[in-house]
Formats: sequence, structure tokens, C-alpha cells
Amino acid sequence: MTIDIHVHPAFYEPINADAAREELRHCELDIHRNGLAPLEHVFNQMRCASLDRLCLLAQDYSSAMGVPLVSNEEVAQLVSFAPERFWGLASVDPHDGDAPDRLEDAFTRLGLKGLNLHPGRSRFDPADPALEPLWAVCERYDRPVLFHAGLSWEKDTLAEYGHPLRFEALAQKHPRLRICLGHFGWPWIRETAMLLLKYPNVYADTAALYFDNAREFYTQCFTRDIPLTWIDRSLRHQVMFGSDNPRFEQIRMAEALGTLGLRDSTLELIRGENALVFLGEGGGA
Amino acid sequence: MMFVRTLVLCTKSYNEMTVLTPRVEEIVLESGVQEGMVTVLTRHTTTGVTVNEALECLESDIQTALALFAPEERSYCHARMLRDYGSTAGNPTGHLKAMLTGNHCHFLIHGGVLERGGAQDVYFCEFDGPARREILVIVEGG
Repeated sequence: MTIDIHVHPAFYEPINADAAREELRHCELDIHRNGLAPLEHVFNQMRCASLDRLCLLAQDYSSAMGVPLVSNEEVAQLVSFAPERFWGLASVDPHDGDAPDRLEDAFTRLGLKGLNLHPGRSRFDPADPALEPLWAVCERYDRPVLFHAGLSWEKDTLAEYGHPLRFEALAQKHPRLRICLGHFGWPWIRETAMLLLKYPNVYADTAALYFDNAREFYTQCFTRDIPLTWIDRSLRHQVMFGSDNPRFEQIRMAEALGTLGLRDSTLELIRGENALVFLGEGGGA
Repeated sequence: MMFVRTLVLCTKSYNEMTVLTPRVEEIVLESGVQEGMVTVLTRHTTTGVTVNEALECLESDIQTALALFAPEERSYCHARMLRDYGSTAGNPTGHLKAMLTGNHCHFLIHGGVLERGGAQDVYFCEFDGPARREILVIVEGG
């Protein structure tokens, strides 16, 4: 099974009947001129990228915005339209006192498979003891956390909150909690690799395309910033394919991954098997 | 008079060619125009409208010829993060291919029907699919 672990459904047509809500998403995500995506288009895109599953991310910064940007209910609704193609990750605002209860509700009632958080947008430190109840819910239900790491293009974000070192204390304190550094923590690729090497509960996704085209950028990140052997030999069970679509180019990124020179067995891990393990869906070792 | 309809396509592939002729002829019929012109115009910059013979072999040759002009593996200045979009542009080849095909075609309407040569068909050309696309069919005359 091939999986894109990092997809934002903010502009999927079924959850954008309200034009004001669509405009809010364009503004807050700083993504423009992309139009709305009917599910038929999403499925065509998946076929061209040879993807079986998309992991759709909710986004909740409601203490700053008043409402979630993409709610858990909206993600669950999209999953219900195509449960054979979509999985969903919940989001809660860590500053919300009810966040642990809302997360538990998302796991139990809505069937969402993990938690998506953006420290750079919500301005929090993953090692903050106040967040322990959230991690407790994740551990109780064996659900992972996907963090935005590294640079963020979204409005009102600071990259310093996404530095890989910010996640080390959490990884060390909670060895049973699986966490993913989104975007491979770009530009801190080596630092992300360092965390993956030391902590087997830390994963990273490939959802970065900030310069050049997909082949050129992946070549820079995964053969020059770090040698390809680091992933192919040592980190092969902790890297997952992610695209950050619609920010970046899902089809071309999926194609580019295959041109780097990784072993076929490593590609299988990155393209899907690692995501199954990360999500607790019973993948291989 | 001017009669305008929008065709909407959800293309399925990165590059594909779709014959629009029957739909254009239907719109001309619907317009009631007997003597005039019809323009078929794509609203996008990585798609084209062209006229050619609707043969599978020619579609393949056209795609090959366009790919020789704008190969995927070449280095393009357009491959970069675009601030106005907040996303990375990965479609320079689509823009260049669209430049070659052009974005529209015209046909004469005579006696209420399209005056086209026996081998002429209207193609919509997708160069950055899959995508949701809109094509204007503009009928002018009386």
C-alpha cells in the first residue's frame, strides 16, 4: 500500500460550500489561485501519483482564529466519503483546556487516527509539561502525533518553534509515543536525521519542496544535505512519503522519490509500510 | 448576438488530448446562430486548444513532438516557490507546450453548422493534469 502521510484537505470541494470559509483558508494558509478540488480530481491525482491512501490533516488554531481552520468533523466527513482512500488525523488547539477531551472524542467517536499539531503557528513548546494530558490521550489510544517542523509558509508562523531540537525532550520522555517531524524539519535536515538516528519513535516525512523542482530539491535534501546512505541504511524505517499537497506537488514528488537511487525495499518502506507502522495500522516491521 | 457556454473537464492524466468537436457543434446548434463565428478558448495557461486530425497515432506524435520541445528533465527558471500562489511551480513544461498550441481556435458558422474541413477536429490539450478545467465556447453572429 502506498500512502501520502501529509495532505491538507482545506480546499476539497465538499467542505467548502461556504465561500467565506474558503477565503479564510486561502488567507490563513497563504495558498492562492488553486481553486477547489472535487473528489474526482483528488482521486485522479492519487492515481497519477500511484497512491492508495491519503492521510488528511485537520488544523486547529482556534484560540487565535476563533474556529478550526479544518475541523475534525470536516476531516471525518471527508473520510466517510471515501473510507477506502482516506484516513484522517485530528487537530486540537493545545491552548484549549478541553483539548484532551476533544482529542479523545476525535479518536473514539470520529475514528481519526492521530494528532496533527503546528508549534510554530500555535506558539507552543512540545516539551511543555502542560501538554502532558494530550500525550497521555495519544498513548492511551496508541495514536501518533504529526508535528509541523522546520519552515512554515503559513501566516503568523515562526520557524524557531519547528527546530528539530525542540522535539527531543518529548521523544526522550515518551518513547512509546510515535512522533513525526513534518517536512523533514527543513532546512534542518541533518538535525532531523540526528533525532531519527537516536530515537526510534521519531519519524520524518518528505513533505518539502521549497526550491527548484521536485527532483532537484529531493536530490539536494537527500543526497547532498545528507548522504542518501543515511536514509537507505540507517533511517529507512522512519521516513514516510508526504507531499503537503496542495502547497507542493504530490505527483512530481512521488515520482522524484523513485529517482534518488534508494533500494527498492527502502522505497516500499517510505512509500507506505512505515506509515502503516506510524499510524498503528499493523504494517510490517 | 453573442452566445457563450463554459465546458468543464476533469482531466485524468498529466498530458492528454480531448476531442471537443461534438460539444462545440451542440453549442452552435443551441445558439441558433446561422451565419457567424465560433471561438473555443481555454481559460488556463498550461492547457491548449488546437485543431488537428483526430487519430490516436497523431495524438501520440504530437505529444512526442511537444515533449522534445519541453522535456521534463530540463532545468527551468519557473521551478520555484511563487509568493502569489504560496506554492511551488512545477509546471514549466505545461506553460511552454501551451505556448506552442495556442489557447484558442476559430471556425466559421454557415447555415447553422460548423464549416470545418473533413479532417479537422477541435482538441483540448491538457499539459499539467489532472485538473479541473474550463473552456469557453463563444458563438457570435446572427
